[in-house]
Amino acid sequence: MKVDRKETLRYLGCRGQEIDSQTERLLNEVAEELERDSAPKSVYQEFPCKTEGDEVLIGGYRIKSANLAKNLEGCGYAVLLAATIGRAADFMVKKYSITNMAKAAITQAAGAAYIETYVDEVQASIQKEAAKRGLSLRPRFSPGYGDFALECQRELCAMLSCSTRIGLTLTEGNLMMPTKSVTALIGLAAKERESCQMGTCSQCGKIDCEFRTEESRGQTA
Amino acid sequence: MNITERWKKEILFFDGAMGTMLQKQGLKPGELPELWNITKEEVILEIHKQYLMAGCNIVKTNTFGINPFKMKDSGHTCEELTEKGVELAKRAIAETGKDAYAALDIGSLGKLLEPLGDLPFEDACAAFAPACMAGERAGADLCLIETMNDTYEIKAAVLAAKEHTSLPIVVTMVPDETGKLLTGADLEAAVAMLEGLRVDAIGLNCGFGPDIMKGFLPKLREISSLPIVLNPNAGLPVVVDGKTSYLVEPGEFAAIMEGIAREGVSALGGCCGTTPAHIEALVKACKGIPPLEVSDKGRSVVSSYTHAVTLDGKPKIIGERINPTGKSRFKQALREKDLEYIYKEALAQQEKGAHILDVNVGLPEIDEVEMMKEVVTGLQGITDLPLQIDTSDITAMEAAMRLYNGKPLLNSVNGKQESMDAVFPLAAKYGGMVVCLTLDENGIPETAKGRIAIAEKIIKEAAKYGIGKKDLLIDTLTMTISTGQENAKTTLDALDYVRHTLGVHTTLGVSNISFGIPQREKANTAFFTIALFRGLSAGIINPNSEGMMGAYYAFCALNGSDSQCKEYIARYSGQVSQPAIPAGGSEITLFEAVVKGLSASAGQAAKKELETKEPLEVIDGELIPALDKVGQGFEAKTVFLPQLLMSADAAKAGFDAIKEHLKGQGDASESKGTIVIATVKGDIHDIGKNIVKVLLENYGFRVIDLGKDVPPEQVVAAAKEHQVNLVGLSALMTTTVANMELTIKMLKQELPECNVMVGGAVLTQTYADMIGADFYSKDAMGSVRYANALFA
Repeated sequence: MKVDRKETLRYLGCRGQEIDSQTERLLNEVAEELERDSAPKSVYQEFPCKTEGDEVLIGGYRIKSANLAKNLEGCGYAVLLAATIGRAADFMVKKYSITNMAKAAITQAAGAAYIETYVDEVQASIQKEAAKRGLSLRPRFSPGYGDFALECQRELCAMLSCSTRIGLTLTEGNLMMPTKSVTALIGLAAKERESCQMGTCSQCGKIDCEFRTEESRGQTA
Repeated sequence: MNITERWKKEILFFDGAMGTMLQKQGLKPGELPELWNITKEEVILEIHKQYLMAGCNIVKTNTFGINPFKMKDSGHTCEELTEKGVELAKRAIAETGKDAYAALDIGSLGKLLEPLGDLPFEDACAAFAPACMAGERAGADLCLIETMNDTYEIKAAVLAAKEHTSLPIVVTMVPDETGKLLTGADLEAAVAMLEGLRVDAIGLNCGFGPDIMKGFLPKLREISSLPIVLNPNAGLPVVVDGKTSYLVEPGEFAAIMEGIAREGVSALGGCCGTTPAHIEALVKACKGIPPLEVSDKGRSVVSSYTHAVTLDGKPKIIGERINPTGKSRFKQALREKDLEYIYKEALAQQEKGAHILDVNVGLPEIDEVEMMKEVVTGLQGITDLPLQIDTSDITAMEAAMRLYNGKPLLNSVNGKQESMDAVFPLAAKYGGMVVCLTLDENGIPETAKGRIAIAEKIIKEAAKYGIGKKDLLIDTLTMTISTGQENAKTTLDALDYVRHTLGVHTTLGVSNISFGIPQREKANTAFFTIALFRGLSAGIINPNSEGMMGAYYAFCALNGSDSQCKEYIARYSGQVSQPAIPAGGSEITLFEAVVKGLSASAGQAAKKELETKEPLEVIDGELIPALDKVGQGFEAKTVFLPQLLMSADAAKAGFDAIKEHLKGQGDASESKGTIVIATVKGDIHDIGKNIVKVLLENYGFRVIDLGKDVPPEQVVAAAKEHQVNLVGLSALMTTTVANMELTIKMLKQELPECNVMVGGAVLTQTYADMIGADFYSKDAMGSVRYANALFA
């Protein structure tokens, strides 16, 4: 798996500025180090899913979130997914914040791109399995999106035993450590149409976002 | 029979999975299995009995997840659930009449420790304590610390078990397919630390089936001097129709385990997916096979949180630069708590090729214990080199050893009884190799014979604590040749004898040899080469000295320890990539160097400018205009973030050169003003704040950086202490904006005059207004503009 250059630049706020040779070198060094030292890991499990108004039942767990309910409406099952690229990115950011701030910023962006690529990969394999059973995937939806509260992380991580299985832990404030990690629910619906496109900016309501992809500028969710 | 005696005589058998069995009985994902010790005790009891009847000798209590974090809302105390868990295991043993042991099962806290995470090490130790105490009280026969993937957390658990029980300790870990823990630690690092901590057995569990786990056994046997335990899963987890399953059947499981048993292990059992049927088949297949013959591998090793450094045929470099002795700039950094300066020294030495870093932060006017704790924790967040804890303050030494994530090197003990009485008990408790100085109550012997006698005395005393020769590193003391020409010979003769006749590793503070003579490096390199030839195992040197490193690489190439001269060639063939300093780099102007983000050139150019210009002229005429140009470009989006930051770093190199110059003239540089910055409580994302800090410093502000996850009270206290009128706060998450609001409120209450600027991904002008901030900065340059206006 490779660090996506285009995405890295987008997270860095690059808007077509020229990449000089020095920046080029740093981008390459960071990508190489990240690919070498990261240890991507994921765990996922399928649960029965039911929506009741603005509430969702995943297994025995009740989540109050209208956005999530809308996302999962009509899905009999949902995949609970957790993934992380490990601690290398966090370690690198810390180290480079002392010696080379530009490299720290690049690592931050490259790490964000890397976890997204990884989750896309994992999701692709989930989709493949689901397709065999005539199921299609809804877009993945994570705690922190819309009214899907971050507090839900605690229960969701416990349901997958995230800390023992992939080393994904939560801080007191329910932030994920390693920081380059993702948890998400992916609805499984009968295959009436092709699976939705995987998490692109076009699904997000924050249309003035600095990091929105060029393709989805001006589009609303 | 005590379990630690018994597994020398026969292979013992752990039971299989508890979780898998409970799920079959209806345990929901996310439900706390330990509550069943109270609500469904008959189910737990029955599972224990099934495993005992299947033939296991060791029952794991249903206590894996018991800690204050996970049990917080359970309505039960850790003690209560643990006692009940152990009682059920003991009852099952009694009711089945089997000769078996109850292992107090201790699992991960599910939290990441500092410095990467937010859990302080001592809090982790404390979190393990209740279960340990209650477990022993209820009659557990051993502690099993299992399914661990972080050496630091393991250390916390082991210390809790050692300090709160007298039970034998078994630790089993989960490596990934490359043989590393999730923290990046390899097995050698983990084993070094665990042997140092004097656990009773080590091994692996979970993660894989027996087939893959078998592959790790040869390595484990090669490096470990302890009994070995393997508790694999019933294969890799497979997702079938959305359900996680383990597919290796009892017969197949047992067949592979038999192969493992024949290679040599001390105890076998099962983890996820294994059932009483698996254990029954396992016992049947393996009973009677002789256990692993445990032997001391005699390895001299220290470790960091990622890897081990073994003293073997190839000598090692211990970097000496983190030490205030004779360095006024370093002393100043310690007094001002400028830890970044220290961390830079660490990273520079690592880059130059040091294998281990000496850490000495002792200064009479500072609190050495607190400083040592902070620096050791901080260093472990930025460098993966093992550390040598260098202090004469025994309290500081112990504090550092507790917090150290690995097996450290200790500097030092000497032949004085008082010194040995203080240091060896620490080494026996926490682990570590010990530097032993060959001096005692009568001073430093003038003869090699005298120093050898002290070495022998120290070796003998260490043995009383169970510290073998393999964990000693004897320093035969370098004395300058300016006070006696025999000095070099005496040191080297003693060193040679210690290494080759006593068979103990050696170290020297090499550069002491030239104290008081001119052109010190010349004598140092020659002495270093001779010492290496005579048997120096690890030299304490300055890795920034090209001469010393040259002598080292040349020696290793010449004596054959640098295989095919690879390292020598890599270093000196000129093919190593150097930072891109354009041809004629010194010709470039300071302005250009900053705009282009060339740190090295900027430093050189600044020095050159200072030969003819006043410092203020250089700052106002070159540095600030260059920064402004880049800053404007950033705001106009012609320059993007990494380029802005490279320029900031280059400007910093320029400012450093100016500071150095001013210091030479005895003139202290003045700051434009002091600003306190912090990432608010609950938030751990601090790169944005760090970028702001670099830029503010560039523009001449003194920045007090409180770090991340900072409570409001601490921000207020710092603002008061430094009497600032500007505080910068950052938050990335919507959830932590509430803490930002609270911080602003408290600041405004206590310091109404103080201005607050805020920034971070989720903030907007509207948000900032809502929470009462004086200024919203949309990017790092914005904060500079605001601060400049405020302090104008």
